[in-house]
Amino acid sequence: MQYDEHTPSPFSTLIGAHPEEAGEGYARMSLVLEEKHTNPNGIVHGGVLTSLMDEVCGWAVMTVRGIEAMVQAPHATVDMNVSFLSGARPGDTIVVEGRALRVGRSVAFAEAEVRRGEDTLIAKGRFTFVIQGKRDG
Amino acid sequence: MAEQPGAPFTAYIGALLEEKAEGYSRLSLKTDTRHADASGCVHPGVLTSVMDSVIGIGLSRLRGDDAREKHGPHATIGMSTSFYAQATPGDELVFEGRVIRLTDRVAFGEVETRRTADGEMIAKAHLTFAIPVGQGPSPDEGRRA
Repeated sequence: MQYDEHTPSPFSTLIGAHPEEAGEGYARMSLVLEEKHTNPNGIVHGGVLTSLMDEVCGWAVMTVRGIEAMVQAPHATVDMNVSFLSGARPGDTIVVEGRALRVGRSVAFAEAEVRRGEDTLIAKGRFTFVIQGKRDG
Repeated sequence: MAEQPGAPFTAYIGALLEEKAEGYSRLSLKTDTRHADASGCVHPGVLTSVMDSVIGIGLSRLRGDDAREKHGPHATIGMSTSFYAQATPGDELVFEGRVIRLTDRVAFGEVETRRTADGEMIAKAHLTFAIPVGQGPSPDEGRRA
């Protein structure tokens, strides 16, 4: 697989999210919600939010570690805690921001926020990653 | 016989509803490369998406159609997930969960994700749902599923 810090994962591509910006320890994506992103009640499915929060946190950690380090020793989510504060509907744009809190040699910590439009916080999450051993070859 | 889940997003991912009962459901997913993360493993969001639906479906059956229509739908307000092992695209996964307790304000559920081929535990989650006011027994009479 080709690693590119501006290329979202296949699953984020399936969802339809767009990478917007990344810096040292920070990453942001956005998504215009469609019917396919909903739960049976017509509200954004919680899985859409957790998926993109995980994505931006992993990306934020990667901006600290560097692409080469990630290729050699990927980091993997081992723990996720998310609170869902409000909802969003098809037609809404959600913005997902991730920040690396600490990147150590064996673990990394990050947090993410999801906003509906510019202001309304609809979800917040904390993520823990383990930095795996170097891949052979 | 498996059927498409009611949530458009869960169906879009490709998960199938294998079994449902009051407070219980089991879904399955045959993963493929569309479900991958940046390192080529199954994206954690795939797992959390289906696990959320597992409890949502079981809770719907437990509350009943009348209660949901009269008082409104329940909504996930918290999810805590541990990921014990990684799945690889191509793996078939099974997601099984139960509502642990339903009160008139909140409900709690637990769900596990296992790889079908060898039964290895991939992830486990604890979910909290908000119940619209007026539904269910009093807190002291919380029901177990």
